[in-house]
Amino acid sequence: MPAPPYKMWEILERARTGPFCEDEAFTMERFMPKMQEVISKYGIKYDPATPIPSENKLADAVWQAGLEFFLAVGVLSVDTHRILTFDEGELREALYLIPGEYLVGLGKDARVLKRRQVEDAEPPFVIFSPDISCDEELFLPMCVAYLREPLADGFCAPILEESMGLKIKAKSPTELAGSMEHVMSLREAAKLVGRPGVFLVAAGTAESDVGQISISNSQWGVRTSDSRLVGGLTELKIDNALLNKVAHYQQFGCFTGSLTGPIYGGYAGRAEGTAVLQVAYHLMGLMVHQAHYQMNFPFHIHHTSGTTRELLWVSSASHQAVARNSKIISVSNGFLNAGPATEMVLYEAAAHALASTVSGANLWEAAPARNKHKNRATPMEARMAAEVGHACSHMNLSREEANALLLKILARYEDRIADAPLGSEFQECYEVRTSLPSQEYRELYQRVREELADLGLEFPY
Amino acid sequence: MGTLESLVEAVTNGEDEEAEALASQAMADKMDPLKVVDGLTEAIREVGDRFERMEVFLPELMLAAKAMQRALEPVTPYLEERKIEREHKGTVVIGTVEGDIHEIGKSIVALLLEVNGYAVHDMGPDVNALDFIKKAQEVEADVIGASALMTTTMPGQQEIVELLKDMGLRERFIVMVGGTPVTDAWAEEIGADSWAESAMQAVTVLDKVMALRRGDASATL
Repeated sequence: MPAPPYKMWEILERARTGPFCEDEAFTMERFMPKMQEVISKYGIKYDPATPIPSENKLADAVWQAGLEFFLAVGVLSVDTHRILTFDEGELREALYLIPGEYLVGLGKDARVLKRRQVEDAEPPFVIFSPDISCDEELFLPMCVAYLREPLADGFCAPILEESMGLKIKAKSPTELAGSMEHVMSLREAAKLVGRPGVFLVAAGTAESDVGQISISNSQWGVRTSDSRLVGGLTELKIDNALLNKVAHYQQFGCFTGSLTGPIYGGYAGRAEGTAVLQVAYHLMGLMVHQAHYQMNFPFHIHHTSGTTRELLWVSSASHQAVARNSKIISVSNGFLNAGPATEMVLYEAAAHALASTVSGANLWEAAPARNKHKNRATPMEARMAAEVGHACSHMNLSREEANALLLKILARYEDRIADAPLGSEFQECYEVRTSLPSQEYRELYQRVREELADLGLEFPY
Repeated sequence: MGTLESLVEAVTNGEDEEAEALASQAMADKMDPLKVVDGLTEAIREVGDRFERMEVFLPELMLAAKAMQRALEPVTPYLEERKIEREHKGTVVIGTVEGDIHEIGKSIVALLLEVNGYAVHDMGPDVNALDFIKKAQEVEADVIGASALMTTTMPGQQEIVELLKDMGLRERFIVMVGGTPVTDAWAEEIGADSWAESAMQAVTVLDKVMALRRGDASATL
């Protein structure tokens, strides 16, 4: 089976030749009314009692609504004010051509990244990622700490704010310096821990297209066995810099992930619209970003997190929709309210992993402390998510069983979401010299793990 | 239900055509235009508060704002005729800093400032620091609002403050910063005047900053 690109130049050209539309009209007259229409037409309804819904009918309705919405609305290029539109035939052809799995990484460290099914007994592919920025001197120890985690199938490093002591500014020479330092140190860390070929998603420090293009180098930089991400603009919009990344990644030959986070409370409205939009984003990732996998992080407009009850429903419903109706490889990114070394962050990581894994997603874990605070992430939060993901598939949980468990976990943190504790910075709960967690955090982790086991979660070991 | 109550309801529900028709009717009935504007302003502020409490969502807020704009169209000539000015709290130039393409947070702040009585010039995403300042000079703004959603684009906020200093204009404009990774500590570090964690908080904070600038002794940050 051929892999993407699918009609790449033909589709990219639509950003120049598609129908004219201004930004406001796209959102107000095209996006918002159509969203209301498809939610009503397909009878999609959020039920707070089932953050993991178990009706196939609902999952299929979310898929149908997302597909109809995507085809009707298209994707706006904000640089050219043109809409990239698609017909159903070519969308179905692209969906048919998805291979559903890829061998990523290199040599002995290569792993299979594949699409999962709802209630799949196969464990998720877990990409460990702190998702935050860190001090320059902590970059290497943090990378080592994450890469030595046994359940990490892949890794995405923290973001640098400084390079050689200089403040990094996007689209400036310091970004190029920081991007190079990022990927060189990352490769060094991977080699140090004995995983030189591990699947890397890089480099978060390279925000611009120029930054990304400057680090494509199989000797010292991003290799073709690695991956990079292409984001989108809120909502269903792109620009030329993003399309430059699309074309470059394909021509360089690395794996592309589509990075999208529909906003709950934003233009899509409530949970129903956010789930429908998440499906549409999977289709945008396939058609516009030419992506091999879809990495998604629906989040709450006020809390900037994905572990509220509504957002867990969004993740579950949209991943079920995608898993039941396509071979798209989906990766679910956890955005947690609390910070490291707190009970709450571990409950949240468990909740996100449970809702995602049983619904057919792989995992990308995790962004603690609302993805806002420098140095506030450690591998322990990701480890908890990975362990719960493996437990969920090991037990071959049904959605009903997972929902019952999730309700018990939610009860342990839900009322603290608005005032979630910030927790500790990496260097406060890890020994930087050894890149190992403190005794205190290890004990806290073990207590929460045992508590989850008491709730009914059977860890495989 | 009276015409004004129906008009307020139409704006609250985001029914723009109905709102414009009712506003025209109110003017034809010789209703006091200032009373109509006060009613509409109160209504849209209530929608903003409900958005903050997540009782309504962004689509409802945007539709209500659009309905308010439509309702003001037939009222404005009567205000001008009587030389009455709408409440004008200040002029804001707002945008997302250079290299940053995220803009929903900034757009919500712009919308809420506008419905709360500020004249807002939204420059969109990826705005060069000097362009913020030139625009602020052009429209004689009181405030420059700079949003950043990435840690690597936050220096763009610092650049605005530094350019203002180098141009001898630092005291001329209030600089307000915001965005997911932006904290009060960062605002203080770069010498910005204010910072807000949420869109509604931005309105409250700016009201206070403007009051202080006007010399209102009762205002505190």
